[in-house]
Amino acid sequence: MVWSSPNPERTIAVAMRRCYSTKVIEDIEAELEQKGTEYWKYLLTKCLQDKSLDVLEHFTMTLLVEGAGESEVGNLVRSFPYLRFTPLANSDWLLSLNARTLVELWKFGDGKQFAESIISELDAKNVSPLFNSLAFGEGIRAS
Amino acid sequence: MERGYVRVKLLYNTDLGALKEVMDRKGVAFDPSLVMDHVVYMFEIEDCSRVTTHQLVRHRAASYDQESQRFSAATREGVVTPPHIQSNSTALETYNQALKDVYAAYEKLVAAGVPKEDARYVLPNGIKTKIVMTISARSLMHIIWQRTALQAQWEIRELARTLQGLAAQATPELWTTVIER
Repeated sequence: MVWSSPNPERTIAVAMRRCYSTKVIEDIEAELEQKGTEYWKYLLTKCLQDKSLDVLEHFTMTLLVEGAGESEVGNLVRSFPYLRFTPLANSDWLLSLNARTLVELWKFGDGKQFAESIISELDAKNVSPLFNSLAFGEGIRAS
Repeated sequence: MERGYVRVKLLYNTDLGALKEVMDRKGVAFDPSLVMDHVVYMFEIEDCSRVTTHQLVRHRAASYDQESQRFSAATREGVVTPPHIQSNSTALETYNQALKDVYAAYEKLVAAGVPKEDARYVLPNGIKTKIVMTISARSLMHIIWQRTALQAQWEIRELARTLQGLAAQATPELWTTVIER
């Protein structure tokens, strides 16, 4: 993990509230702070249940991927064009993606194993525990 | 940051230092072109018209979430008045009368039990809106290149200049070249 959006669960909640609130952003942020993580959990659960995954796109992350060959990266990018890889040196890559792409990577076909390694890294760095638990379930940590 | 009509706030941006640190560790010299796809900005944009957000969301390589008119009631105060109308008393009178008629119709439709999502069909393009946008530096530069052009409309030019100012303030090393035209 190189970098990720600050306070990702709240960032997703901000995007959700933006759709349905007439308030200015400062008031939305204050409302989310006041209502706390239970409310963020409610919003996250709702967007995942409704498959309104667009709001997840505001949670972004950048990772260092080591030891990946060009063909491996090429296969991933062909299936998931929203992954942004930049070669660094040898078989090292800078990778950026958003949480919607991560969910799709995890759900569909060839990307699951790679997604699981990213989710494990999010877990290890305690980046988005609430989101990880709701989107990927508890089982992912055991696998 | 407020410049005229549109109000924009940078909610977060990628920490460029973290990217530089990992590049340094891998022995790769920092080059802005290598990180343009990895640096992202999340903006809140308020008090711009739906005319302008229609133009903005044509730039598809970004993520947007916009205030819904399906559930929130529209108000007459929330309309952008273009400078060419503002500065012309005859035009302004016509504009204000049209808005008065439109909003009277909207309120009648809602009062008659028409859902807001259907009543909004009478609302003007100039209605103010709020939108969040998350975008990479590369895509943002493209927007600024396109939308600061003289032939672009005044409101999106204002928005593009404001976005550029905030991005340049947050990550100056990526914005050393003047791309405004």
